[in-house]
Amino acid sequence: MSEHRSDNSAYALAWRLPMILWQGLFFIGPLIFMIAMSFFLVKNYRMEPALQVGNWTKTLSRGFFWDSYFLTLWLAGLAVIITTCVAFPASCFLAFRVSDLARRWAIFFLIIPFFTSYLVRIFAWQVILAQQGVINAGFSLFGIGPYTMLNTKFGTMIGYLTLCLPLAVILQTFSLANIDKRLVEAAHNLGCGRLRTIFTVVVPLAKTGLIVAAVFCFILSFGDFVAPYYLGGSKPPTLSIMIIDTSKSGQQWPRAAVVAIMMIVTMLVVALTAIGYAYRKRR
Amino acid sequence: MKDDITTRWLLRIYTAVIFIFIFAPILASFVFSFNSDRFPTIPLGSFTWHWYVTAFSDSDVWSAAEVSILVALSSALLATAIGFSAAYTDHRYDFFGKKAFLVLALLPPTIPLVIFALATLGWLSIFGASGKVVSIIIAHTVLCVPFAMAVIRLRLNQMDPNLEPAAWNLGATEWMAMKSVVVPFTLPSIVAALCLTAAVSFDEFAVAWFVSGLNKTVPVIILEILTGNIDPQINAIGSVVFVVSISLVVIAQVLVMGRIKKPETV
Amino acid sequence: MKKLLNVSRRDALKAGAAAVLAMPFVSRAWAQAVEINMLAWYGHGEPDMVGAFEAANNVKFKPKYYAGGDNMLALIAQSPPGTYDIILSDAEFVQQLNVAGLIEEMNAADYPFDDMIYDDFKQFPGHWKDGKLYSMMVRCGHLGVSYNTTAISEEEAKSYKCYWKPEIKGKVGHFDWHLPSLGQMSLLNGNGAKLWDVDEAGWGKIKETTMSLRPQVGGYFDYGGTFNGLKNGEMMAMAGIGDWITGVLEKDGAPVKSVVPVEGGIQWTESYSIGKGTAKADIVKKFIQYMLSPEGQAVSAQMAAYPGFAITNGGRKALNETNPKEAQRTGQMDGAPNDPVTLIKEGRIHYRDIPKQQTLEDWNDFWQEYKNA
Repeated sequence: MSEHRSDNSAYALAWRLPMILWQGLFFIGPLIFMIAMSFFLVKNYRMEPALQVGNWTKTLSRGFFWDSYFLTLWLAGLAVIITTCVAFPASCFLAFRVSDLARRWAIFFLIIPFFTSYLVRIFAWQVILAQQGVINAGFSLFGIGPYTMLNTKFGTMIGYLTLCLPLAVILQTFSLANIDKRLVEAAHNLGCGRLRTIFTVVVPLAKTGLIVAAVFCFILSFGDFVAPYYLGGSKPPTLSIMIIDTSKSGQQWPRAAVVAIMMIVTMLVVALTAIGYAYRKRR
Repeated sequence: MKDDITTRWLLRIYTAVIFIFIFAPILASFVFSFNSDRFPTIPLGSFTWHWYVTAFSDSDVWSAAEVSILVALSSALLATAIGFSAAYTDHRYDFFGKKAFLVLALLPPTIPLVIFALATLGWLSIFGASGKVVSIIIAHTVLCVPFAMAVIRLRLNQMDPNLEPAAWNLGATEWMAMKSVVVPFTLPSIVAALCLTAAVSFDEFAVAWFVSGLNKTVPVIILEILTGNIDPQINAIGSVVFVVSISLVVIAQVLVMGRIKKPETV
Repeated sequence: MKKLLNVSRRDALKAGAAAVLAMPFVSRAWAQAVEINMLAWYGHGEPDMVGAFEAANNVKFKPKYYAGGDNMLALIAQSPPGTYDIILSDAEFVQQLNVAGLIEEMNAADYPFDDMIYDDFKQFPGHWKDGKLYSMMVRCGHLGVSYNTTAISEEEAKSYKCYWKPEIKGKVGHFDWHLPSLGQMSLLNGNGAKLWDVDEAGWGKIKETTMSLRPQVGGYFDYGGTFNGLKNGEMMAMAGIGDWITGVLEKDGAPVKSVVPVEGGIQWTESYSIGKGTAKADIVKKFIQYMLSPEGQAVSAQMAAYPGFAITNGGRKALNETNPKEAQRTGQMDGAPNDPVTLIKEGRIHYRDIPKQQTLEDWNDFWQEYKNA
């Protein structure tokens, strides 16, 4: 096998090139174009190629851009923390306490949400969480409520959880299930308490998988516009809503591109830092 | 182990609650799709097929279904082919710039869809390729390649590294070995990748919404109803789409199960 | 490689066959009909509006929906010329469509100008240029205070001030478009007929008034969200809308209403234009004629997505004959106190327009700032 490791035969290139060409042309191409676009001018609702920094200065000098930026960062961060904490006990249960068969079934059920439309699920939440919705109707039986849940950050969070939770449980369960069980038992035998075992043995061993799950949650919630729009009432709007608003009204694509680039940079920094941390060798 | 019963039960109940949370919206939309109230609450209204009839007597929904199926199948095929080649390359070769190669292959899911949609629309319109069905196929393929690659790469991991060299030693060319060894071995993952990517494409709305022009896909129609004349047709369409895609997965599963035995013993 | 493709193709065929089996009616007779691409507000391409015309003429409308004039211009600018055969635009944006060369000239003799219910409508601003017709007004409606009758009294709703009522803190919604909402603030500031023509000081005041409403605001919504919010009681008052949304809910039995307050109301006006470069100008013309016929006007007045006023005498008559209840609800009866035409004549209604001394961009920027505040 190693003999063929680095050859540039026609055969090798035939397998290497399709991905490079396709993703280069239709993934890197658009991203580079977007960077160029951020320097364009808009006249009469049409973009004109230009090289001016007006879009950058105008967008970045606005207070509300930064408000929205930090709000989005905060919401996505919160979603990561909540999702990770909420998913963890369930993942532990699925990884350690059930049979292989039951685990396989659980994973199967966790995959099902990916086959339902996210929009449809959000619409269902709208109905469930409404002032006269299912939950408040349930509360009224006990004489409490109604509570306002829609058009609040709570609503947004429910949406983010809907998006992230199944994936987080799957990824966490996989990484926990891969832990060498003997290490956990050894800790037990040495008199380590249950909670202590979890935090000193299990979590460090599953670190990579846990962080990867968290990174996915961050990326998904940072970029999602559906939850903050339909469950959060865009109050205030997150960056992804700002992108849509900016491109929708007044054809300000270049400024939307500025917001987009800021988002990508942020996400890359967060993701790379986290991944770097995840794969750092433990001393 | 000295498991005390309480913890065990607490964990069990907790996990059940998580599953309830995940499935609540799915089940709710099923229930609402048969409920006569336009804005359902407790107690529910009466049983009705009305939303199904309304939704599926609308020709727009059917043409959207056609577009969606076409897009999902095409991008699944393209993405699986490209993903296979990338996975195989990663599995077998080491070359200058391989790290960059992998980053390029796995990066797309990390870009928020709204951003990718914005960029793709601008890029494709330079070539006059925006607002067409093919624009959606192109964009969805980009999004699906990493998933296909990941699935197939996992399977390649399980392949005995001596299998291919053994075939060469027996006189097979590289292409022949690919055909008679690698492809049969990875077939289950290829089918799985096809299903997964088709499902990803079938449910994607942000990019499709931006680049589709007048060629709406099913999720775009759903988004349009959500922003427009909001009504339970959404639930009806969603439920049917769900049933269809789950059936496809089950069919695929059966197909894979039927074939899995042979390649496994190669 | 070959094998790989073969396998994929076979699987694809199987999957495709399964899909086709599941949907036996995928390809139906619609495929043969002439397709007309329509750019419009939500609902204009739905069966209740175009169904009868489609059946009679073997055509099929393919609608693309937008919300707000800026949104419409953006959509049209990013599509190749000739994409849209017919464009339903807000009247105040017709001028911009024309300047950008996106619409065809129309022949005034083709349309029932003699039958217009009000003289202004015959020469609607921006629809004519150098004596040539570019757009045909088809319907209109009024924007005012839209409120939930359980939270706001009729007396309170007579002024935009009711949005600031402490009891509905967090329950005032905005239709997510700057023009109608900021227009209402301008009216509240006493700008009256000059609501769109405000100088720097006046614009500063509008911003101030708007910002003071921010603590009351519960969300910014598109059409569906506005509708949902009012219906399920999340929002008790909604700025920037009118009967076009509450009317639908009212007919559905919800306790919501829209009135034109003392500061004055705003009229939205929708007009059809023929897209530049379309090959289907003849059938599009026929459709516009149909929409302006008494039958079409009655259909348009009762549009399922959102109601509007009939703008021809024939249309009003047809509405009174086919649905007197709706005619009465909306005051479309000669002599009704809330007859839309009477309201216009009394000077209480102002046509929606674009800002005169600021650019749309200024308004839009402020709107984003407001949302983020």
